[in-house]
Amino acid sequence: MLYKRYIEIGRVCFIRLGDDIGKSGVIVDLVDQKHLLIDGPDGIGRKVLRLNQVALTDIKINIPRGCKTKTVRTAMAKEGVEAKLAATSLVKKFAAKNAKAQLGDFARFKNRVAKTASNRKIRSTVRKLKKSS
Amino acid sequence: KQWYQREYGVPVQKSPRFYPTEDCKTPLKNRRVVKPTKLRGSIVPGSVVILLAGSHRGKRVVVLKQLPSGLLLVTGPYKINGVPLRRVDQTYVIATSTKVELPALPAIGDEIFKRKGKPTKNEKEMFVDNAGDNSYKISAEKVALQKEIDALVVPAVKKVDMLQSYLRSRFTLTKGQFPHEMKF
Repeated sequence: MLYKRYIEIGRVCFIRLGDDIGKSGVIVDLVDQKHLLIDGPDGIGRKVLRLNQVALTDIKINIPRGCKTKTVRTAMAKEGVEAKLAATSLVKKFAAKNAKAQLGDFARFKNRVAKTASNRKIRSTVRKLKKSS
Repeated sequence: KQWYQREYGVPVQKSPRFYPTEDCKTPLKNRRVVKPTKLRGSIVPGSVVILLAGSHRGKRVVVLKQLPSGLLLVTGPYKINGVPLRRVDQTYVIATSTKVELPALPAIGDEIFKRKGKPTKNEKEMFVDNAGDNSYKISAEKVALQKEIDALVVPAVKKVDMLQSYLRSRFTLTKGQFPHEMKF
């Protein structure tokens, strides 16, 4: 199979563009070839999003098409979607990127110094191994 | 009652003897109050700041205080990155969130930064080329003051881990870094 994650009712999506960036929702209905109706917890509510604003995750829950927000939320809670999402690489990478952007100038300097030092160590170790082999 | 016993009022301001034939507008009174420049909330005594212009551009320095003229009094400290006691406008500076805990410093004003004016030549000497010592020399008083301030600020800097090497380094932009998107 070429594709593993399908655009289907109940597919949990990670929002990667737009005002709700970083949040996640469930596909409740399809509007047209390029738009989805997504619903989620308090932070996002029920809205139409473009396909390219969204990245599909591995998580899928069982909900009927076009169901109410309440149904979606109880289904999400029942399946433990929040915990599963926290384990996905999409969410982890977004959190890491955000954390990096919040660093101040001093923190960036310390990171750079640490990175240079570790890179030096790695390179010298690799060189030693190459020499010995 | 007689006329000299009656009460009558006297105008406090008499009408002037002469007045213009046409009414002309009087300019409004200037009620301007000279206030010191409002300092950005992110700049506090002790905050580390990046200089954006001048020979020391890119250097990270410590703000000592705001002078009465409104300019920031800044020092490297001189021992750490070669920036002396210097005045800097807050608009030529990026404030970082790093702050140094400064001890009580001696009072410094704008007076020590005042330069002596160029010597005026009289008519005879006007065409004589004076390739002389008109260059600026740092006064001994300034050097002493710098040493005094450094002795107070450098230990405060050394208390924070890696802060000294941070102040020694210069701020640069690399690929993909945009100042308006960065947090300082």
